[in-house]
Amino acid sequence: MIQIFSTFEHSLNLELAISSLEKNGVAKEHIFAVPLTNRKAERRLFDTIHSTDGISLMSTGAALGTAFAVIGASVGFKLAWGPIYWGLIGTAGGFVLGLLIDIFYYKVLKKRQRLLRGKNSEVILIVECHEEKGDIVEDILWHHFALGIARLRM
Amino acid sequence: MDNFRNRDNQFRRYKAHVNIVGTTQIHLRNPYIIAWWSAAFPGFGHLLLSKYLRGLMLFTWEVIVNNNAKINVAMVHTFCGDIQLAKEALNIRWVLMYIPVYLFAIWDSYRTSVDMNKMYLLAERENAPFNSFTIGALEINYLDKRKPVMSVIWSLFMPGLGHLYIDRIVTAFFSLIWTIIFLYFSNTLLAVHYLFLGKIAQATAVLDMQWLMYMPSMWGFAVYDSYANTVENNKLFNSEQKDFLIKHYQSPKFTIKKGMWSVEQP
Repeated sequence: MIQIFSTFEHSLNLELAISSLEKNGVAKEHIFAVPLTNRKAERRLFDTIHSTDGISLMSTGAALGTAFAVIGASVGFKLAWGPIYWGLIGTAGGFVLGLLIDIFYYKVLKKRQRLLRGKNSEVILIVECHEEKGDIVEDILWHHFALGIARLRM
Repeated sequence: MDNFRNRDNQFRRYKAHVNIVGTTQIHLRNPYIIAWWSAAFPGFGHLLLSKYLRGLMLFTWEVIVNNNAKINVAMVHTFCGDIQLAKEALNIRWVLMYIPVYLFAIWDSYRTSVDMNKMYLLAERENAPFNSFTIGALEINYLDKRKPVMSVIWSLFMPGLGHLYIDRIVTAFFSLIWTIIFLYFSNTLLAVHYLFLGKIAQATAVLDMQWLMYMPSMWGFAVYDSYANTVENNKLFNSEQKDFLIKHYQSPKFTIKKGMWSVEQP
């Protein structure tokens, strides 16, 4: 018997991988999943809402963008470029201003710990099977977007 | 057909419910952001909290009263510095009606989000199972991972489409219908047409102040709400899958065998 270790992101692909393994004769008791608690850090600039503190780099930007759009479109009735251009300028200006405020607040005032970027390993999946089945199992795991795989002999 | 049914009230709180017209979810929110959206457009704060009936009621109220009181026209004149024109635009029979409900919407959405944040913490700790898949005669809805940026892009093209992307059918249809009304009566697309032809003065002349000023909030809300909910739905998917894996794929008989072979050999 061998054990194949792999890591995944949470996704429907992971469940497809597990069900494919079962279809290929791997018993349910021989599949062991370890969901990880990931470091609370943004994965992309706009996704700090991922951390469950209810904040997001989008929030202030969207709020100020809307506010400045209203003012820009209003004043635009008097300006040479008209309400639509000034509304769009207001939106962009407000959004960027909100973003800068948030970035300043979270990056400078409340410096976060080291950030994780790119894809994270969210689940460790261990599959136990006979040596001759190892290649099929690895194929299934790669096919369903495993992030990394290791094969251990006993 | 649902994959979970609450038969005997054995749980006290639920953090989510995947239903035929949407994925309803309690999650942490910043009460000031919710209050701001209510200030931008009464009703939006409540819609963000998934309190659809009162959200839609307040929204419709706002359009009717604002339209009759001519708040938007007065606002444009005020920002332009034409205070006299603003005074003349306002309809006194309607304008005083506007104030109490406007303030109520802001206050009520603020205090509701504070309470719902507490509710979320309790529901999250209780971690009761919830419905995560539903199929019926008219619709199918399930938890899935979706891309927040796609919600933003579709909402920018047309408010409502971002919500269709994440199965929020009530907000989607409501946004689509009101956007048609706002765009039509404000002549916005006619103005865009003139802008493409380079006729800026003509574009400005054709715009209707009263109806145009609904659109910035409509766009902003559609983008923000669909974006935030896409991210929250993804988080819900992760936590639901995590619980599923722990429940079904952690057999007590399973052992990590590396190194054990030499011990077991005679």
